[in-house]
Amino acid sequence: MLKSVVRTVGAALRLPTASTSTTRALPLNCPTLCSANAATARTFTRSLWMMNGNGASGYRPKLFTTKVLNPSASCGCGAMHTEGDKAFGEFLFDEIKEEKKIQKSGTLPKISGGWELSMDGTEALLTKRVAGEKITVTFNVNNSILPNFAEEADQGEQKSGEEPEILSTPNFVVEVTKEAVKETLVIDCQFLQDELAHGEEEESDIFGIFEVSFQPEGDTEWKETSYTLTKDSLNDSLYDHMMDFLADRGVDNTFADELMELSTAIEHQQYIKFLEELKTFVKCN
Amino acid sequence: MGVVVRNLQKVVPLRRARLRKDVNTLRHILGIHKFDLGVVCVDNRRIQHINNIYRKKDEPTDVLSFPFHEGLRPGKMPCPLHRDELNLGDIFLGVEFVMRQCQEESTDLHEALTVVTAHGICHLLGYRHETEEEWSEMLQKESYILREYNRLTGQHLLPMMKPCHQERTLSHR
Repeated sequence: MLKSVVRTVGAALRLPTASTSTTRALPLNCPTLCSANAATARTFTRSLWMMNGNGASGYRPKLFTTKVLNPSASCGCGAMHTEGDKAFGEFLFDEIKEEKKIQKSGTLPKISGGWELSMDGTEALLTKRVAGEKITVTFNVNNSILPNFAEEADQGEQKSGEEPEILSTPNFVVEVTKEAVKETLVIDCQFLQDELAHGEEEESDIFGIFEVSFQPEGDTEWKETSYTLTKDSLNDSLYDHMMDFLADRGVDNTFADELMELSTAIEHQQYIKFLEELKTFVKCN
Repeated sequence: MGVVVRNLQKVVPLRRARLRKDVNTLRHILGIHKFDLGVVCVDNRRIQHINNIYRKKDEPTDVLSFPFHEGLRPGKMPCPLHRDELNLGDIFLGVEFVMRQCQEESTDLHEALTVVTAHGICHLLGYRHETEEEWSEMLQKESYILREYNRLTGQHLLPMMKPCHQERTLSHR
């Protein structure tokens, strides 16, 4: 239970909109931080200071101890180590243990169709060569968790005993390069969230094309001056031909499904790795 | 808006452009090109689920039609009052079911899908095959559509409905 809530918060925090709105909303809703209450806040601070004993003569009951303010342990690194840090480290230890328990496999799932996978942090690159063409698919697992996951966990909509499944559905970019041509056709694809979010009753495709443009071959900078076809300017027939073009190169519904599985596994792997780094950072040993 | 094609399945490799072209040819033949139409391609699992919900038949099938205009008299075009009503409805194609049939009969999938779609559009236009009279009326319409289709494309497609004295095997609507 605790694990799922934490995972939810983790997912929500990785969503830029969720974290931003919370941070911005706080000062407006918190009266002690408003200037109109400054006088009250000042008096209150003084009373607390006096109760703490440092600013008063004679016996006063101590409200605060110095434990919170000063390091309670040291390890030679010279940094602060509080009781809170210790609890945080213990919590992370348990969290990592739980996450490892639900990790489906230590190895990443394969994508069928002769794709080779390489990784750079949170970014994955799938490559294959077919008959004089190089096809690559790149995606980044950051901010790729479905937003409805967090909502459902909050609303308690899932059946008791069942944790909501976390799915990573990143945008992915397909690049097709023909050996004889110096340009690369770049097709920006996205998972269509409605279908995934609301289950089987929705009638949208699994993924769709959102942008198409030609770019210079290789790792040169993105050419903003290249004409870009957007989803809205793609007519239906052109869109269907583009989807058939992708399917001929192995990017179809099956591929999208397998990419989702792969991305979910990578995201989980990265999450555990992050927790481990955080534990080391907090505990410093 | 025209034809909305959706491919919700991964069992059958579909050619979306070919499917759209064939559906547009059928619309042209029937003179319904100003009406929107949805064509949703699904696998056996999903069409069985829909068949069970709407027809209480827990089995996969080839096509299910959901007309926008209820109670149309066969052959009478809908008379829309607003832009929103320029819509015929949706056809769910059981592409996996059709593919299995094609494998058994060694026929082409996309040709079979054209025949099945023509049948589905007839249902959207009010045709039924509950009685012999309805059956005959619908067979006549389907035969006309495919005759015209064959004339325009040089193909040799036959209606999926058999003449009424033969066994009725259609399990969809």
